[in-house]
Amino acid sequence: MAMDSSHPSREPDINDGLRIINYRADSDGRCRRHQGYGWQPVNIVNHQAWQEIEKQIGAAKRRIAAGTASCLYYYMIANQMSPALLARYTDQPSWLVRLHLRPFVFKRLGRATLQKYADVFQVAPADLAAGELKAPIYQSR
Amino acid sequence: MNDHPCPSFHHRQSAHCESGVVANLIYREGIDLSEAMAFGVGRGLFFGYFPFIRINGLPLVTYRGVAGQIIKQFGRLPGCSVHQQRFGDRDRAMAELDGALAAGRAVGLQTGVFWLPYFPRALRFHFNAHNLVVYGKQGDDYLVSDPVFPEPVRCPAADLARARFASGALAPRGKMYTITVDPAVFSCRPHIEAAIGGVCRLMLASPLPLIGIKGMRFLAGRLVRWPHRLGRERAVLHLGHIVRMQEEIGTGGAGFRFMFAAFLQESADLLGAERLSDCSKALIQAGDGWRRFAAMAARICKERRQPGDSWEALADQLRGCAAREETVFQDLRRWSKGPR
Repeated sequence: MAMDSSHPSREPDINDGLRIINYRADSDGRCRRHQGYGWQPVNIVNHQAWQEIEKQIGAAKRRIAAGTASCLYYYMIANQMSPALLARYTDQPSWLVRLHLRPFVFKRLGRATLQKYADVFQVAPADLAAGELKAPIYQSR
Repeated sequence: MNDHPCPSFHHRQSAHCESGVVANLIYREGIDLSEAMAFGVGRGLFFGYFPFIRINGLPLVTYRGVAGQIIKQFGRLPGCSVHQQRFGDRDRAMAELDGALAAGRAVGLQTGVFWLPYFPRALRFHFNAHNLVVYGKQGDDYLVSDPVFPEPVRCPAADLARARFASGALAPRGKMYTITVDPAVFSCRPHIEAAIGGVCRLMLASPLPLIGIKGMRFLAGRLVRWPHRLGRERAVLHLGHIVRMQEEIGTGGAGFRFMFAAFLQESADLLGAERLSDCSKALIQAGDGWRRFAAMAARICKERRQPGDSWEALADQLRGCAAREETVFQDLRRWSKGPR
């Protein structure tokens, strides 16, 4: 086995420099705990997952600009949710959430419903009503 | 850090959240328990491929037992009692947590990673089976010993409440647990044999083709066909997902194989069983195989193929892991059943 590839890379990685524990076999054949940054292949696949999410966010923004989806669609995608998951967080049936993804329906939403979505996405209801695209939860702080 | 009845907690960073939490909670009760031992006796090792359960739209591959497995196993051991609760109501769940903290307890929680603000941005997926320990509260912040972090962290109450009531697959429903240990009775040593036997049963003798060694072979068969069935782009996403499940934070590397090897080694020293030490070395080999699999998969994902990299070669690599683990677990099964 190529030993280089089994050692975690030394550079800070996608984990914002978080040093994690890994078990690794030492030369005497015993597994011990080691602290280090992520392993290169892991960083690659993590990076890949985020590229995919960013691609989806880009597509969502285009749909909103084209007027085929409400800004709720952006918030849902940016926070990695599906209509079913968003429905569970807002305690509504998922067909209703799907309906709210249409601009026509979304514009006519009541304050209480907007508030529910605002709470989940941690933005102001006014932002939602104005169709502003704020950063997803994991980037806002 | 001194204006609370339970302000200090012996935080030990761990590779995996659940075994780390159990080891740290039991350590607090005055018993020196390593993470690897908690993982082994808790029967943490597993393999399962469940294409009908989706995480972010990708099939679930797991290298460890179901969330809560280790805690449940420890609750069954004599001298160790686990008090576990789930809640329907968020306010009650938080009040109950505050009550336990005020009584000077350290409390284990199951949470959704996506809602934890102290997590690195890149790891905030909707993954709902992350365990951590809360050991105090200061103002509006909870003091959190999150086993995958080097130091204790703080988490605002509103965020912790959201994380405890994350929805979706493996929803925690506010799950909290405390562990009490009677040091006069409790010992891991007599349970090692049964734990190893239990893991072997799951890995070798499951009737379902998606579990254990059979599951690895099943996945190998499926994986080869992904590029044709899903197209290159989706296939690569599926592959990346397998590697993430195997190597992301909290696996200890090589899909928990190295951690289990450490457990076998520790058990070998404890029981004076040379054979376990041999099995440990063989399992490390299997773990190395998993890491080669991950490295090749990452090269394929990144279109940085080396000679010999292909989907067929990946499947062969996976079958190689299955074959190696089959030998290890057969040997372990003979050990756990046989006379010594």
